[in-house]
Amino acid sequence: MNGRAPPNAGFSIVEGLGYLVVAGLLMGGLTYAMGALFGGQAQPTVTYGGSVYSLAPSFSDFQNAINLHASLTQSIDTADHVLLVGGVRSHPLSDPNGPSPALDVSFADTSLAAAPGSDPFRAYSSWDQLQLNGAQLGPYLTSNPDPADFSLLTLSGQERITSITQQRRHVAAINGQSVVLYEVTYQAVDWSGTLPALVANPQTGTTPTAQYRIYYQASEDTWGQPPGATHYWYRTDTTWNRDQEGPARLIFADPYVLAGSDPLAKISSLSRFVYFLPVLR
Amino acid sequence: MKPRDNRGMVSFAVLIFAMVALLILMANFKLANAVSLTTDGFDTFNSQTVEKNGLAQVVKESILALRETAITPSTGTVQSEIQNRISSLSFPSGVSVTLTNSPSAVPAHVFFPAAEPATETIPYFSTTRGLAGMGTLLSSFAVQGPVTDLGRLSFAFSRVDSANPAEAQTYTVNADLISVPLTNLDLVAYGLPTTGAVPSAAPALPAGTLGQGVSELVVTSNNPANDPSAYPDLYAGSSSETLPYQYRNQASFSWNAYEYVWSAAYQHALISAAQAESDPGNTAPSTGNPTPATGAAFDFSAAQNPTIAGLTVSGNSITIDCSAVQSQIVAVIDAEGVGTVNLLGSGAAGAPFVLLIRNTAGSLGLTQVNFTGNNARPILFYLENSAASFAGRPQISGALLLDRTSTVSGGVDWSGHLSCYAPASPLAGWNFTLSDSPAVKEALAALAPRVLLVSTSATR
Repeated sequence: MNGRAPPNAGFSIVEGLGYLVVAGLLMGGLTYAMGALFGGQAQPTVTYGGSVYSLAPSFSDFQNAINLHASLTQSIDTADHVLLVGGVRSHPLSDPNGPSPALDVSFADTSLAAAPGSDPFRAYSSWDQLQLNGAQLGPYLTSNPDPADFSLLTLSGQERITSITQQRRHVAAINGQSVVLYEVTYQAVDWSGTLPALVANPQTGTTPTAQYRIYYQASEDTWGQPPGATHYWYRTDTTWNRDQEGPARLIFADPYVLAGSDPLAKISSLSRFVYFLPVLR
Repeated sequence: MKPRDNRGMVSFAVLIFAMVALLILMANFKLANAVSLTTDGFDTFNSQTVEKNGLAQVVKESILALRETAITPSTGTVQSEIQNRISSLSFPSGVSVTLTNSPSAVPAHVFFPAAEPATETIPYFSTTRGLAGMGTLLSSFAVQGPVTDLGRLSFAFSRVDSANPAEAQTYTVNADLISVPLTNLDLVAYGLPTTGAVPSAAPALPAGTLGQGVSELVVTSNNPANDPSAYPDLYAGSSSETLPYQYRNQASFSWNAYEYVWSAAYQHALISAAQAESDPGNTAPSTGNPTPATGAAFDFSAAQNPTIAGLTVSGNSITIDCSAVQSQIVAVIDAEGVGTVNLLGSGAAGAPFVLLIRNTAGSLGLTQVNFTGNNARPILFYLENSAASFAGRPQISGALLLDRTSTVSGGVDWSGHLSCYAPASPLAGWNFTLSDSPAVKEALAALAPRVLLVSTSATR
């Protein structure tokens, strides 16, 4: 060491300009490559029952879910009452635990045949409605229902079905992986014409009106509040004909929520799509 | 010290790594931001749905404050009622909601004896306006018999968010007003929340008492400790009980309306109507009696009573031949609890009428009311502080309203309406059957007290 300052260790002007040019070219290339990567990235999917399910979290299915729940909220908002089939505690005496059968996804009736002229106080619970319309709905009731399964009908007047919303949970082994699949569909019924018509999806032109399908690794499917339906009851009173159901809690699958992949997490995974839904309006 | 070339390569590698990391972070940020914005938008949509439905409830309660069949209606305007309720609500910071358009007044809810409303059956579905859309909580009452449609009122509210002008909204609330005769429901075990009590549990009802299609109503506690039919699912036991809003119409019908029916105001109105009757049985003025008593009100305590068609007097006992009554309302007043009323049924159907037996004697004594023979004429019986007795198990069509102290004995097959005070229900020990009768409902709709039911729906 002779006490002089060390020579400048940075780039020379020529080197700096050269690097900038090269860096610019590389950045452009990288940007293009990243854009192509993100733009063309395929969300992992599986096919089950002829339908495609995206691995959660899935932004495109999240958008579909928002559209579905906005439509469902409006159907609920204008309904005279709803009929919730499935879930737990369908009746505190006759079916206190569940899970109760839901309606098959093929159910697409547009009216309840036995409802017109019936005792309107029987619309105060889904259980009574199910008994009243048993001949029509009975054949559609599913066997071995999953706790997350339910069917929700919104009704205008006593009998007109204005929408059918279904949630299903499937457990399957696909490509050697154990997965859990959630399927949510919403079918609107248009009564503005002379005959009721099932409303098609405005983008695809096909029914149902809205839908989303996602899946998780089976090990991740643990929830603080699991998807499904819970009936709550004010009372049952056969003497005074008071089967009075309170608001039901519905939890739909959320395509942009990771399930319980981290069991040590302090905050449990919770769906955005939770309803505390009065049976009556 | 490393050679200058190596140092440059390291710097360049760090730069490239930083760029890539930045790109990935930006992509993740954009995705997270899109999810956040979408979620916020959905939350706003949901919160405004709740907000507009809250305003719909404000409008409903404001109308009911003015027009509900209850003992203490408000004397304010619907605008002031709405404003009072809005001012007690809490909105997010910067959000204000104001009433910008409303009808000048709410239609009066008048019924007998002030008026005899025309009735109709409102269809469920209509190209103009039907029950569908008014909610099952209302329509479940409206389909039980003839009703009167008082029309639809429309209110507009302006929502302003100073922090977010794009969230400005106009909410429109439509209110449908339906007047329902109390006699449309077949059996009501009522409560008196102000002057008496509301039932903790439903009264006992012997099996086989009610016929096919009979509608029954009782509103009781949701506390399982009070009512064994209740469940704890949604019951908050830590504070005084508040029934869920689902029971609003039922409480209107089976609590508040009966406070009014048995109030002095309504009872006096009925008596006044009876006194104003031009009863064909009244004695015509004569030289010997130029100002005979008129009307169709008989008072056991009065020195002079009018002669009333169908009514004969024998001391403290009167007999009313229901087939011969010609006034629309006959009142019998027994302020001392000393009278006996013998009712002879009418074998033939005829014009409906009201028979009021008003006993304000309290514990001094009940008015004995003896029903004899079948009755096919639709009659609306008000029995206050009376002991009703049925001999020979008659078949009677009509409506029987028992006050809180009235008792019943004997057997009867009743067709039409029956209501009693639930906390002191006579139903358990009474040998009776009750059947639904659309004809009785139709006949008595114009003479029955009524309940105003309101359905509101909001749009944005």
